[in-house]
Amino acid sequence: MRAKAKLYPKEAARLLREKPGVREAVTGATLHFERNRLKAYAEVPIEEWRERAKAVKDHVLTHLDHYLELAERRLRENGVQVHWAETPEDAHRVLREVVHRRGVKRAVKAKSMLTEELGVNPLLESLGVEVYETDLGEYLIQLLGEPPSHIVGPAIHLSLGEIQKLFHARFGTPLDASPEALAQVARRVLREAFLSAELGLSGANFLVAETGTLALMENEGNIRLSTSLPKVHVAFVGIEKLLPRFADLALFLPLTARAATGQRLATFVSLIQGPAREGEEGPEEVHVVLVDHGRTALLHDLEAWETLRCLRCGACLNACPVYRQTGGHPYGYVYSGPIGAVLDPGLLGLEEAYPLPYASTLCGACYEACPVKIPIPRLLLTWRHRAAEEGLTPSWEHGAMRAFRKVMESPALYRLFSKGLRGLPLPQDLLPLLRAWTEGRGPLRPSPKPFHELWKEVADGR
Amino acid sequence: MDARTRILARVQRALRGRPKALLPEHPHTPLAEDPVDLLLRRLRENGAEAQRLPREEAKAFAQRLAEGLPGAAFGKTLPQDLRPPLPELPPEEAPLGVSWALFAVAETGSVALSSEDGRKAQLLPPTHLVLVEAKRVYGTLLEALQDLNELPAALGLHSGPSKSADIGQVMVKGVHGPGRLVVVVLE
Ligand code: SF4
Repeated sequence: MRAKAKLYPKEAARLLREKPGVREAVTGATLHFERNRLKAYAEVPIEEWRERAKAVKDHVLTHLDHYLELAERRLRENGVQVHWAETPEDAHRVLREVVHRRGVKRAVKAKSMLTEELGVNPLLESLGVEVYETDLGEYLIQLLGEPPSHIVGPAIHLSLGEIQKLFHARFGTPLDASPEALAQVARRVLREAFLSAELGLSGANFLVAETGTLALMENEGNIRLSTSLPKVHVAFVGIEKLLPRFADLALFLPLTARAATGQRLATFVSLIQGPAREGEEGPEEVHVVLVDHGRTALLHDLEAWETLRCLRCGACLNACPVYRQTGGHPYGYVYSGPIGAVLDPGLLGLEEAYPLPYASTLCGACYEACPVKIPIPRLLLTWRHRAAEEGLTPSWEHGAMRAFRKVMESPALYRLFSKGLRGLPLPQDLLPLLRAWTEGRGPLRPSPKPFHELWKEVADGR
Repeated sequence: MDARTRILARVQRALRGRPKALLPEHPHTPLAEDPVDLLLRRLRENGAEAQRLPREEAKAFAQRLAEGLPGAAFGKTLPQDLRPPLPELPPEEAPLGVSWALFAVAETGSVALSSEDGRKAQLLPPTHLVLVEAKRVYGTLLEALQDLNELPAALGLHSGPSKSADIGQVMVKGVHGPGRLVVVVLE
């Protein structure tokens, strides 16, 4: 996927202005996920789980060369063909070879953020392969030609009405068709695809080094079908996805499910050791592509390497008041929300992802939600600091921040300024940030009284 | 130099001189409750139908479930004495799939299905009946995973009916996989 992260403030403002429905749909869906997560966290000793998960991930990352080699060995012993990809081109080569050798005309694909990163769909289409996204949400956005807007719920920005319209135009269903009826249509189309595809594609939630196990989580059954029916299964795995021991899944599967959707476990978990054995049904060939694409550089980064613990559960997106306003599209890359704001600069370079570390209120909700305790607020500051050092932030911002600090540190100055400012008309067009805000909303109006006066009134009235 | 060598070299360079994090032990948290009771409760909470039955009654139960249906698809490892006398249909056409679980996990409300049992019968029919022996019910996922010596080509953990909320946040059952999961624990 081509990154458009640089356009963040503009795109966010445009979306708020042009598609007010997105805000409603995204807020509703994320609040729902968030409530479920809180309930699911409260049921278990979550602090102990998070601490342990963080430790396991840190262990695997600080011994990554060892575990990568172990995983490769085990996968090979299981009959899996292992490939290494530094770049999307390396990954494309593997696919091209499979497509040509097996005469692939049709592929079914399970939802995977890494395949978005690698541009797998455009490649297959250029090779004349018909690709079906089989996760229902992913299928919807494929029909619309849109990128996913959430790591876990790629279509949460769409309302029922929009999907009804889409299916009406595409399949002739009535404009008031029920969600069940729409799902039935998708089920029929995709069932046909499952049964006829020569190739199944997936990512992986985890790769266990000890046993060479690919672990995949889902609720629909499409991943189990994509990895069971076609004769060839190709899985793309980021090198940060490793777990040391098979039994570590007992922590990571439930923890991820609780963080992502508030479930005790995903409805379907696939633990894949290799191709089907003698006399079994299942794929004849299984390929695992171990992908770097910027991850080793991030591992090298002493201030930002912890980002690699990420399980892609989406909990930080659901918790984020900024993400809730627009959903993922304005972030301009595969990974959106708080994790996108710190992962994208790491993967794309700060120059490309410059405004993203600013897309946060630093409220800390993302850190509280994160199952592996990634210090996202601290990482946001790290990237902001670097942006300032590299001269990516406009110079007026430096001066303004210095002045702001002076005023904030002196109560007398603060009172004087807040009173003075209140009298002035707000220069709506002066500051780019204000403009981005007001483009999507009405003009900003200062409160008639400063907060400290209001507070005093409330306190005195008590 | 190939991609593998370059990636591994970069990882080693990144980690040179870095403090190594220790690998924590797995905790032991035994269950306070009878695992079968908990399994049944959790399965129901997950939207499945679940009950325990004496082994002799399982066959009749399956037959009742299949009443009016033209036949079923069967797992390859399903014991003969438990197989209901129904015509066998290919999984693509069968309205019912009957599977034999390798084990079950109480804490998560899951049944574990091996690829040796055959995958299509577990996934394609709209209704899925899974039989599991009471002695194969583990309290926790950790116990179950630690106890597995040999892993099949693929293992599926099923914890409820197939579902999706991707269309306007409304929960729809039976997307792709079975929309109805019925689990019987055999005493
Ligand atoms: S940063 Fe944490 S909360 Fe966000 S997606 Fe990754 S693991 Fe989940």
